Amino acid sequence: MANKPVDVLQGTLDMLILKAVSLGPLHGYGVLLRIHQISKDRLEIQQGSLYPALYRLEHQGWIASEWGESENKRKAKYYRLTAAGKRKLQSETEKWNRMAEVIAGILSTGREEV
Amino acid sequence: MTSWSRIRSWAHAIIRRSAMEREMDTELQFHMEAYALDLERSGVPREEAMRRSRLEFGGVERTKEECRDARGVSFMETFVLDLKYGARTLRKSPGFTIIAALTLALGIGANTAIFSLVDGILLRPLPYASPQQLVSVKGTYPKGGFVAMREQMHTMDVAAYSEDHEFNLTGYGEAVRLPGTLVSAELFSMLGAQPELGRTFYPGEDVAGQDNFVVLSHALWEQRFAGDPAIIGRVIELEGVGRQVVGVMPADFRFPSARGALWLPLHNDPRNTTAYWAGDFMPVICRLHAGTKLEQARAEIKMFQSRVTKMFPWPMPAKWNADVSVVPLRDGMVADVRGRLLMLLGAVVLVLLIACANVANLTLSRAATREKEIAIRSALGAGRGRIATQLLTESVLLAGFGGLLGLVFAKGGLSLLKATLPTDMPRLMDVHLDWRVLVFTGALAILTGFIFGLVPALQSSRVTTAESLKSGGRGAAVSVSQRLRSTLVVVEVAFAVMLVLSAGLLIRSFWAISHTNPGFKSEHLLTARITPNESFCQDAARCLTFYRSVVNEAQASPGVAGAALVNTLPLGGRITKRNVDIEEHVAAPGENAPLFWLDVVTPNYFRVMGICALAGREFNDADEAGSAVAVVTASTARRYWPGENAVGKHMRLLKEKDWRTVVGVIPDVRAFDMQSSEPEWIEGTAYVPYNSSATLEDGRVPAEMTIAARTNLDAAQAESTLRRVVSGLNPEVPVSEMKTMREVVSEAVATPASTTSLFATFASLALVLGMIGIYGVLTFLVSKRTREIGIRVALGARREDVLWLVMREGAKFSFAGIALGLAGAMAVMRLLASELYGVSPMDAATYCSVTGAMAAVTLLACYVPTRRAMRVDPLTALRED
Repeated sequence: MANKPVDVLQGTLDMLILKAVSLGPLHGYGVLLRIHQISKDRLEIQQGSLYPALYRLEHQGWIASEWGESENKRKAKYYRLTAAGKRKLQSETEKWNRMAEVIAGILSTGREEV
Repeated sequence: MTSWSRIRSWAHAIIRRSAMEREMDTELQFHMEAYALDLERSGVPREEAMRRSRLEFGGVERTKEECRDARGVSFMETFVLDLKYGARTLRKSPGFTIIAALTLALGIGANTAIFSLVDGILLRPLPYASPQQLVSVKGTYPKGGFVAMREQMHTMDVAAYSEDHEFNLTGYGEAVRLPGTLVSAELFSMLGAQPELGRTFYPGEDVAGQDNFVVLSHALWEQRFAGDPAIIGRVIELEGVGRQVVGVMPADFRFPSARGALWLPLHNDPRNTTAYWAGDFMPVICRLHAGTKLEQARAEIKMFQSRVTKMFPWPMPAKWNADVSVVPLRDGMVADVRGRLLMLLGAVVLVLLIACANVANLTLSRAATREKEIAIRSALGAGRGRIATQLLTESVLLAGFGGLLGLVFAKGGLSLLKATLPTDMPRLMDVHLDWRVLVFTGALAILTGFIFGLVPALQSSRVTTAESLKSGGRGAAVSVSQRLRSTLVVVEVAFAVMLVLSAGLLIRSFWAISHTNPGFKSEHLLTARITPNESFCQDAARCLTFYRSVVNEAQASPGVAGAALVNTLPLGGRITKRNVDIEEHVAAPGENAPLFWLDVVTPNYFRVMGICALAGREFNDADEAGSAVAVVTASTARRYWPGENAVGKHMRLLKEKDWRTVVGVIPDVRAFDMQSSEPEWIEGTAYVPYNSSATLEDGRVPAEMTIAARTNLDAAQAESTLRRVVSGLNPEVPVSEMKTMREVVSEAVATPASTTSLFATFASLALVLGMIGIYGVLTFLVSKRTREIGIRVALGARREDVLWLVMREGAKFSFAGIALGLAGAMAVMRLLASELYGVSPMDAATYCSVTGAMAAVTLLACYVPTRRAMRVDPLTALRED
């Protein structure tokens, strides 16, 4: 059960991408690998869906991109977190934590506590 | 920060669109290759690694589309893309594009031209200051009534004018007759009209004795006075009376019509009771005081009306101006032409609707054949909205072309229109294409694009991908759009039927008018007005001698077979009214004597005009010397002496001492217009010989006469002959309105002629468009059913069966359309009644022949597609796709 990958929750992909690039500039494929790595392969991401999200985040100014060279000496587009992105990630993390806490509280509520 | 990045991203996307597309490709390509490389490292063979990489990535095109959307530039980018794509598609099918654009251009062009007319005449505010405060009074008043109104009204300022006066200008080149308007002193200031030079009239300058002033039009000032500013203050001679020029109006000032060359003050003289209370009955215009409602003004004028009838020196009939009211000035000025213009607008809107239906049909047919293309695009990830938007863009692009081309047509059409329409149409001079009409055309083009683009776009985007790809373009949508197409064609034919019917009725009516016997022979007749000053004929003997010489010298000129004089030429637009006493019908005291149309003529008038007496005789030279005689028309004789011989009866002009003997009866002459001899308020027509007892209401002999000369000379020669004769006798007498009698007649029917030709044009447009419509739908139908027809032929269907198969479809559209059109026509055709003469709006013959003609024409449109169907070769048809 714990090993079976779960689909990314609606709306959380953006957060994951921000987190991934906050650890250092990455190209699109790198973002995918990084998420797999830090989630220990427990999250399933449709590969194609990554790019519209990247473009959306760049358009909103949370991340910025520039062309560089990959580890295989190939031309690749690298994304890094902007200052605005950093603030966004922070607020999103706080929001997520609060939300998770509330939901967890609700779900763990026993009969006698009502 | 974020909005800046957004703008930069947009700008980036628009400016560097192709570069970004390339980058996007590189990026996605990199991703897939990197993944494949990783797979290879874990031992998957290269080929398999590439395949799995592509598979797991998902739809590349869909991803790209989503990326473009994510960048937030889709609207601008899509639009540019769609425009380019649309232009390419349109270029690829030039036949469709040309027919559709031309169809639209004709519809839009005709509409813009007519709308310019409606806008310039009915809608645009009058070119005077604060025109919304200007009103006109329904009803006319003599000077006395007007002056009283001006003094008593509290809700508005009051001014009056009297149109259609003419003045001889002498002393500046050849003597010339000028149209002028008498105005009350405050008229100019009420309109807010500023002179170009000098001043307008001061209050009080319309009182007799203080009124020797004149204001000139810009055109007259330029032509006669060489635009000399020193004209102000100079005295010019009008009708033999010196008047000081006080001002010149600017070129764009027109009141009440474009004809006027002069404005003179009214000559208000209360001591001359007859002229003051019975002379000219004039239109009155007013300016509402600020804050006054139309209703208040109406109430006040009603009160005034009850007072003013008691101010007359004689009892006034109770019904005189009983329905007095005030209406906005513009409505009052254009009331006569409003109905006709709206009718034209209605007709031309029908043409546009037909054009729209046609283009919608073409687009629908094309959309059906494009089903496959659309299915492929939707399989590649284009959303339904996206496809509809693209198709819509294409339609709007097409309509844009049509609109531009239509504007060119409109420009040509409008100048043609202005040349066709009668020149006396109010405000016609103000009509031109301008930005309002441009906006209208633009809106029309876009709206049209939406109307004919929306239906096919929605229709096409509903196509289900799999079905369409499978069926190779014979999908389910075909039957749906087929119904729509059939409906469009039926409606189109119905509209065309209505237009052709109205044109048919108008043509019949016009034929009736122009084939009416006017009662005179108009061939080889040249006419001209000879107009000495009023004062010249105060001395009746001098006047009669002058005219006698004119006739004698004209008749003596080479090439002139006969010449005669008349005070009011038939169809010449002027009436001389005169009350008469008729023996055995003498009016009781307090009753009005019958009002007649009085024609004063020289003895040979009837001979020159080709009018023969029905009974009795025409005038002779002895009558000219002073016999007390008269000639009446047949209808007048019937009216007063029914069943009796009018010859030998007696009548006399009012206040005449001796009775005149009726010596002859002539047939009725179409003198008022081609439909009637007299206006309905005239109770008879009498002719009297031109001698010293032939007096008008003012007791003088007529001074203005029209000469009619029967001649074989060409117009130019005859004209110079007449001018030479008159100027030789008296150089101060102008000769004007030189026209052949044929021109007089055709001017009299100018209005029905223009209406008829416009409707005929619209109807032929509608007919051609309707034919294209049926042809298009049937052609499409045949091409869609080629396979079916092939199977039928293979199974033994004969050519006649195929003929029936197709013709039946065509006949269905045609007859449904005709039936609908006839029903529609019956509902609206009475709107046309006022324009018709000698034919009922329900005229059975016209309805039958139009039905027959429409059936023939629509079936003719079926011919080509039917022939194509009959030639279907079963082998080829079955092998298709």
